Amino acid sequence: MKLRKIDCLEVTKHVCGDLDEHIDSAECRAIKKHLESCPNCTAYLDSLKKTVLIYQRIPNPRFPAKSRKKLFATLKIKPK
Amino acid sequence: MKTKHSSRSSESPERAIIRKAQAGDERAFARLVKDYESVVYSFAYKVCHDKDKAEEAWQDTFVNVFRKLKQFDGKSKFTTWLYSIVVNNCLMKHRRSKLEQATVRIDAPEGFHEDPVLDAGGHVVQTIPSWKDTPMDSLMNKELRTLLDAAIEKLPLDYRVVFILRDVEGQSAEAVSKMLKLSVPAVKSRLRRARVFLREQLNEYMTS
Repeated sequence: MKLRKIDCLEVTKHVCGDLDEHIDSAECRAIKKHLESCPNCTAYLDSLKKTVLIYQRIPNPRFPAKSRKKLFATLKIKPK
Repeated sequence: MKTKHSSRSSESPERAIIRKAQAGDERAFARLVKDYESVVYSFAYKVCHDKDKAEEAWQDTFVNVFRKLKQFDGKSKFTTWLYSIVVNNCLMKHRRSKLEQATVRIDAPEGFHEDPVLDAGGHVVQTIPSWKDTPMDSLMNKELRTLLDAAIEKLPLDYRVVFILRDVEGQSAEAVSKMLKLSVPAVKSRLRRARVFLREQLNEYMTS
């Protein structure tokens, strides 16, 4: 099947909408084809992936254990 | 036919604790709190972006869990149900404080040309700068952390919640649409705008 020609603007809309999702769709195949020859869209997609990755790497804050005591007191429960 | 006994013998330890807590067993409820306290707190912190507000959201969430646990029907994951309660608490507080109800504007990325620049050989010239290729863990320094915090704080809450649920917590678009009572396309649109907004905020640091 012949792939539809796709431009950078379309690619940036789709890649940021779905990143790696819908990999078998016609849209995605056209995007992949475009990415093979477009360093700009490749750099853009890479930067979006890194944005997500960086936020995933932020360490979780430590849970303040005193909150649990306060909750049980509020609910008037004695779990032990 | 499945008997009550056989269906219970196949239930997960988590489901057994929930069932006991639903029946009023305080020890089971305490166990549930301990099992999920960190998940709820870290999610509340990522959404509220403030320790005091996160703690308040945490308390409100578990008070709601205590009161509404009988309403949990087990059709969704327990964490999905918890996330919905945290999100509702955070959004309600936010709307009460009458902060912004903004939308996120998307501009073309720096270096983007509608008609790409071509070299003498007809190949596309890269005008959008590449981001640093340093391993991510060594990138997490104080300067970047401050930038990440500032960027996500600038992102309107309606978008921030979608970004955190989808990209950080790994919830599906369908689950997020149910939690936020939005259509799946609306979830995807908010996610797209959130990602682009955050990328723009980090672009200078990541390309300098």
